Amino acid sequence: MTDTFEKKYYWGIDCGSSEIKVIVCDEQKNILLKRKTRTLFPLIEHVKKVLCSDETSGLNPFQQKSGELKKNHKIVSTGYGRSHIKFAHDQITEIKAHFLGAEQVTGEKNDYTVIDIGGQDAKIIIVQHGKVDHFVINRKCAAGTGAYIEELAHRLELSLKDLPDIAKRHDKKLILNSYCTVFAGQEVIKILMNGERVENLIQALYASVVQRVLEMASIATEKILFSGGVMNYHPVLLELFQEKLKDKKMVIVPEAQYSGALGAALHGMEKGPSEKIYSPR
Amino acid sequence: MMDLKQIMKNYFLDLDAAAKNPNRKIAWCTSVGPAEILRAMGFEVFFPENHGALLGATRTCMDTLIKAHTYGYSPDICSYLTSDIGAYLKNFTPLTKAYGISSVPRPDILVYCTNQCKDVMHWFEFYAKEFNVPIFGIHPPHHLPEVRDNHIDDTVEQFQQLIGVLEKITGQPLSEIKLAQTVALSKQATDLWSNVLKTAKNKPSPLSFFDASIFMAPIVVLRGTEIARDYYRFLLKEMNDRVNNGVAAVEGEEKRVYWEGMPIWGRLKSLSELFKKNRACVVASTYCNSWIFPEFDPNHPLPSLAESYLRIFINRNDTFKEKYITKIVKEFDIDGVIFHDSKTCPNNANSQYNMPNHLKENGIPSVTINGDLCDLRCFSEEQSATVIEAFLETLS
Repeated sequence: MTDTFEKKYYWGIDCGSSEIKVIVCDEQKNILLKRKTRTLFPLIEHVKKVLCSDETSGLNPFQQKSGELKKNHKIVSTGYGRSHIKFAHDQITEIKAHFLGAEQVTGEKNDYTVIDIGGQDAKIIIVQHGKVDHFVINRKCAAGTGAYIEELAHRLELSLKDLPDIAKRHDKKLILNSYCTVFAGQEVIKILMNGERVENLIQALYASVVQRVLEMASIATEKILFSGGVMNYHPVLLELFQEKLKDKKMVIVPEAQYSGALGAALHGMEKGPSEKIYSPR
Repeated sequence: MMDLKQIMKNYFLDLDAAAKNPNRKIAWCTSVGPAEILRAMGFEVFFPENHGALLGATRTCMDTLIKAHTYGYSPDICSYLTSDIGAYLKNFTPLTKAYGISSVPRPDILVYCTNQCKDVMHWFEFYAKEFNVPIFGIHPPHHLPEVRDNHIDDTVEQFQQLIGVLEKITGQPLSEIKLAQTVALSKQATDLWSNVLKTAKNKPSPLSFFDASIFMAPIVVLRGTEIARDYYRFLLKEMNDRVNNGVAAVEGEEKRVYWEGMPIWGRLKSLSELFKKNRACVVASTYCNSWIFPEFDPNHPLPSLAESYLRIFINRNDTFKEKYITKIVKEFDIDGVIFHDSKTCPNNANSQYNMPNHLKENGIPSVTINGDLCDLRCFSEEQSATVIEAFLETLS
């Protein structure tokens, strides 16, 4: 695929604290490419590399000689690093981005709730009458986020990708009470010292994530859409949510980890083309 | 032309001079305490909360807080208190760098009023022991659904007891004429301040909450003086000129917001920039409105002071507060409310008892951010920016 200058391309960059996700759409909202990489520094140089790499199938938003943005490319950023991507035409918060992304991928039009469990935060977005009505982001602590799972897996010297299978072998339900990752780590040590199986502990860890998220807000809508990478990597979480909220219909949106980037790209379409000149140093 | 920086400089330098002059007396007073009585009796008045705000705004509190915490004060209590006491323990004040003043002025008496919270009592009790000076606490009825005559009478009686104590210190009786004159000056200043804040009803608003947080200094620390009155006369003219010339606090103002709760003193500038970037103006706030006292009456000084200090927002029940905010939202044509849940000031954290949902029932959207008035460890700038921006997006 190569850039045809008659077509318009819409880039969404979800610049998270641990990963950067990039999506490009055409005017028909078809996804032309998606890419994910670790968030590295210096940030702008790294993001530019991600956008300009050969792996982006010939699509490059910057002109080769001048480095300026091509006029048929529109870039919108989201995520914690959104305001640092100075060459972006616009920026939106992850709340709006995940809403737009989830709506597009699922085609959902009725009232629903988007739950995004990310690496560093968790969000509950209540959508009513086709727009974001209100939202909640987790308070200071990391419990209920990917960081919680990662930290405890690290302490137990387990690989993240092994956790779902380990949890499946549980034979007992334990409870982790703390919403502080550090204090939860102390709880974990105490549980293991009491001779509990690590399988039960991992199941408890997942149950704790679900509990911390559900403590954030009451969910009145019938349908819940899950976005963010954590749900993709840890499908046990969906089962646990279903146990807790039996009357709700739940779906992990396809390509959940790209939902924010997609939403950012779609926002670029809403706003229409705009001029932005970027001259790299 | 009145220069606020010069006004504040003169205020602190005069306090410093008074502290060195055995013929002049200094009282420490809480911010919504009866400063008028103290001024009428010839005391120069220093406000430790203002010092706390200075510590917060200069971010020097991040050192002084820790001193107070290691001394024995909990990190969960009022960070004005811990910032200020910590500064005292470290023999530090931001007034040194600003004005060359070596220390805050020593008091001849400490006067607090618990209409705002009980932390001020603990705060002033510390200094009473440290300085070995008299302390007088006014403990009016609180969390009132309505202000009744018996509440006013109770408070007036306490004022009269205070006057008796002050007369012993000064050796002079209170002049009723002087008190009336002082209350008259307070009334003029507060009415002008109210009119300054009301200029924000204009679209675009000529000022924002972040401006008003600075402009409010004289109504807090110089209430009852000609300087405060004259400053707000000048400021009102300036704001009206801005309105007439279409000068906006936020260029391209698109959204109008109410700030509920304390300022985050150490992040005023960055928050101001955040709202500007999003073309949103914080046009009204509980905090700045808290020094509007329409009940001041020089013809009835003590009862009107009592009534005014009882009626303050923080001293009312939730029903009153919700009605008040709803009224201001309508009057100022506000799109949404931001609650600042300050960690160490629960008395000013009104999101905690479900008020956001009650406002929502009245069609007023809101969001809550977590932070603090002084302790920046309690404030996640990135997360708060996301919450604020996401909220502003929903107002589109």
